[in-house]
Amino acid sequence: MDKKETQYYHALRILEDNCTGCTACVRVCPTEAIRVRNRKARIDANRCVDCGRCLETCEFHAIIPRSDPLDIIHRFKYKVAVVSTSYFGQFTEDVSYEVAKQAIYELGFDEVQEEAMVTEFMIGMIRDYIRHKRNTRPILSSNCPTVVRLIQLKYPSLLPNLFHLEAPMSILTSYLRDRIKAETGLAEEDIGIFLIVPCPAHVTAVHQPEGAYKHLQDGAFSIGMIYGRVHEHIKKLQNHPPRIQTFPKGLTWALSGVQADLVDCEDIRALSVNGVDNVMEILSRVEDHYLDQYDYIVLRSCTNGCVGGSFNVENPFVAMSRIKKMIKESTNSEADVHELDNLYRAGEFDVVPLTPRSIMELDKDIKTAIFKMKRINEILTSLPGLNCSACGSPTCYALAEDIVQGKATIDDCVVLLKRHSKEEEQE
Amino acid sequence: MPGCEAAKSEMAEFWHIHEGFEEAVKKHFAEPPEADVSLDSLIPEKDFNSAGKGSADVKNLLKRLGVNPEILRRVAVAAYEAEINVAAHSSGGAMLSHVYPDLIHMIFQDNGPGIGNIEQAMVPGYSTADDMVREMGFGAGLGLPNIKKNTDALHISSAAGDTTTLEFLIFFRQDG
Repeated sequence: MDKKETQYYHALRILEDNCTGCTACVRVCPTEAIRVRNRKARIDANRCVDCGRCLETCEFHAIIPRSDPLDIIHRFKYKVAVVSTSYFGQFTEDVSYEVAKQAIYELGFDEVQEEAMVTEFMIGMIRDYIRHKRNTRPILSSNCPTVVRLIQLKYPSLLPNLFHLEAPMSILTSYLRDRIKAETGLAEEDIGIFLIVPCPAHVTAVHQPEGAYKHLQDGAFSIGMIYGRVHEHIKKLQNHPPRIQTFPKGLTWALSGVQADLVDCEDIRALSVNGVDNVMEILSRVEDHYLDQYDYIVLRSCTNGCVGGSFNVENPFVAMSRIKKMIKESTNSEADVHELDNLYRAGEFDVVPLTPRSIMELDKDIKTAIFKMKRINEILTSLPGLNCSACGSPTCYALAEDIVQGKATIDDCVVLLKRHSKEEEQE
Repeated sequence: MPGCEAAKSEMAEFWHIHEGFEEAVKKHFAEPPEADVSLDSLIPEKDFNSAGKGSADVKNLLKRLGVNPEILRRVAVAAYEAEINVAAHSSGGAMLSHVYPDLIHMIFQDNGPGIGNIEQAMVPGYSTADDMVREMGFGAGLGLPNIKKNTDALHISSAAGDTTTLEFLIFFRQDG
């Protein structure tokens, strides 16, 4: 690989010892980022969007998530957790919102804040943004890091349509850092702010944010990883439920459909889309101008939104139902968003215009690209067309492309090899 | 279609070339070069589940060739409209795309029944779509005008009771 190119961070890792080379991951990857070579899976860092599909598909625990170890919080004097909304849908119904939140404190944090706290503020900000960008339709939500990267890679013409402001957990982080600095007098490096996240994409976004102007979070912990310890604390806390501030109304952020409903109003028409295949189909339609009648499209890579993230413990439909129940039954605290509003007006939540990371082009020069395409088509006619993935590429087309790009040879095709050896036998 | 009786067996032609492209278009049709990359697919009658697949394939092909995103959008819109037209109004047909380093030439050929009055069909809002097609959300009468708007050269030849061929050119560089 060219050394000058950016090395992309990913929150997924392959354990070679466990990998059998079965190609299950190769076939489910939406960006065709995985190849099996020498019987081991390899992820192309330029193409991976951290959607987590391979992680869910692998039966051999050969693809594992990479989130930070909880111990790193002790490097900081003041430790803050910012909790993703989907966390609250992970427990049985006898566990209250307060107990689930208090359990995070018990892990050793000095302060626990929730993404849910800023949901209402976000909705207002999104509406404001949509109304100011009258000439761009539809505006596409940018909260899901997988969707942002998917657009950079496969639909770069839609980059101007992306909602170019920080996501709620980052907004909260930058607000909290300023507030804590002022209140405690601590230096920036003494304050550790961490996210508790539902998916690998959010871990990647912490370690390699797209478009961030400044230092945001210091680490990300997977819901699945802390679940066991949190559960221990919950058992103890159940007898003495704490009385702490919670923001159940804001939990809607974890559900893509509900989020769209909230943005939708008299002059804003919103559409909700979730699941990576649906997202890609819709992005392709947006590209063709067939969805210009929508002002805003909520796009989430996982089923039902963030409750479908692969770090969650509970099924996305059950988690969604629980969160809806919580929203209905609990009493909401009013979040003071006054300061957030000032920060927004001051441009503190702006992001750098996102740039393409195109993976589609065969070559920078169109003549060479056409030549390569011609070669691909020629090779394709000699391949069996079974799309069996036994060569380690996802489809026969992908193998033909790999051959032309010098990443594979025709001998990688197992079916052709067998045919040839049979022919030789007959001769 | 009783309204089309008068035009029956009369061959109709329609040409529209955007300003500035006359020379390039003439040159292309005078001696059509051999395309390095071609793509073809069938368009089954009234099959709205798969209609649109052919134009999606063309878009993906052009993405791989690194064609400018705005040009890509124009090709995608024109190709999709033309593909839907064949599916909605004819008894099926086929689409063929030839890609050159500087342009794409797409040809849509159907099996009839032909367009009686092409000039009328070019008027925005005019549609002969039947109820079934309209129920599927198509047939707003914007297909041909939309194709005209998004292409650099458009040629339709047809006759009532006969087949229709629609072809268009889109250049990859708009500065000529």
